[in-house]
Amino acid sequence: MNIKKTFLVLLTFSLFQFFSHSSFTIEPDEILKDQKLELRARNISKNIRCMVCQNQSIDDSSAPLAKDLRLLIRDKILDGYNDKEVYTYLTDRYGDFILLKPPFKLSTLALWFLPFVFFLTGIFLVFFHNKKSKKKY
Amino acid sequence: MKKKIAIVPSIIFLFVLSIFFYLLLIERDRSKLPSNLLNKNIPQFETESLLKSEPFISSNEFGDEIVLVNFFATWCKPCRDEHIYIKRFSNEKKIKIIGINYKDDSKKTINWLNNLGNPYSSIALDRNGKIAIEWGVYGIPETFVVNPDGIIKYRHVGPITNKVYNKINLLLEEIK
Repeated sequence: MNIKKTFLVLLTFSLFQFFSHSSFTIEPDEILKDQKLELRARNISKNIRCMVCQNQSIDDSSAPLAKDLRLLIRDKILDGYNDKEVYTYLTDRYGDFILLKPPFKLSTLALWFLPFVFFLTGIFLVFFHNKKSKKKY
Repeated sequence: MKKKIAIVPSIIFLFVLSIFFYLLLIERDRSKLPSNLLNKNIPQFETESLLKSEPFISSNEFGDEIVLVNFFATWCKPCRDEHIYIKRFSNEKKIKIIGINYKDDSKKTINWLNNLGNPYSSIALDRNGKIAIEWGVYGIPETFVVNPDGIIKYRHVGPITNKVYNKINLLLEEIK
């Protein structure tokens, strides 16, 4: 019973943490009136790296540059830019590094494919090894 | 045959390990990112100027000679540290320097320049940081070298030190 209770408390706590994540960094004056546009801005912000903190998105970061970029994204959306145009605008100035997810390009091919290559090599090695050892016994 | 194959993972492991080791040993600063604007035209902008009544229009300022563009602010301590080198570019090398005053108080800037000297031929005001974003700036001080065709040839993030000063001088000789 005690364990169950502790578990429930922990679960509630972690669920609370999970859903309350990052709802405090965006300041009220930044939010767009049109909810649809605001949602687009939020989604873009989640994929944009904060260049100052480097391992956070601008949606999570309270750095001044992150705020400037959040406002800029909203300005561009109000100007009628589509999502792709906003991303291009940012990568033209800050490079691909500003995207939290590296784009699929010739120069990033190894990044995307090497995990699969290693995985397949692993499977092959294990399989080959097992086959050999089975023969032995 | 089996023994030969067993060596393969160890070789791969050693290879990966040596790459990591190499990356640890070489001198590199992860906070310094390559500029995406290198070898591209400067971003055009118009804004207020400091110390002059007419507005700052970038197309009037670039395109005739080599220009150093320096993003600075009085609240930025490293900007004060590098100021001596900015002055040397202006006094000793006779290079045109444009200052972009980032999110600052104009009164404080005027005081600051009166105290430390003003190496800038003109100063543009970037009150909300939008010009800095146009230039891909993510932390001041940042300095750009623009060639006479208005193309960015070099970007330095952080204060100019003696080493960087010499590096930029070599580049200036090349461009000339």
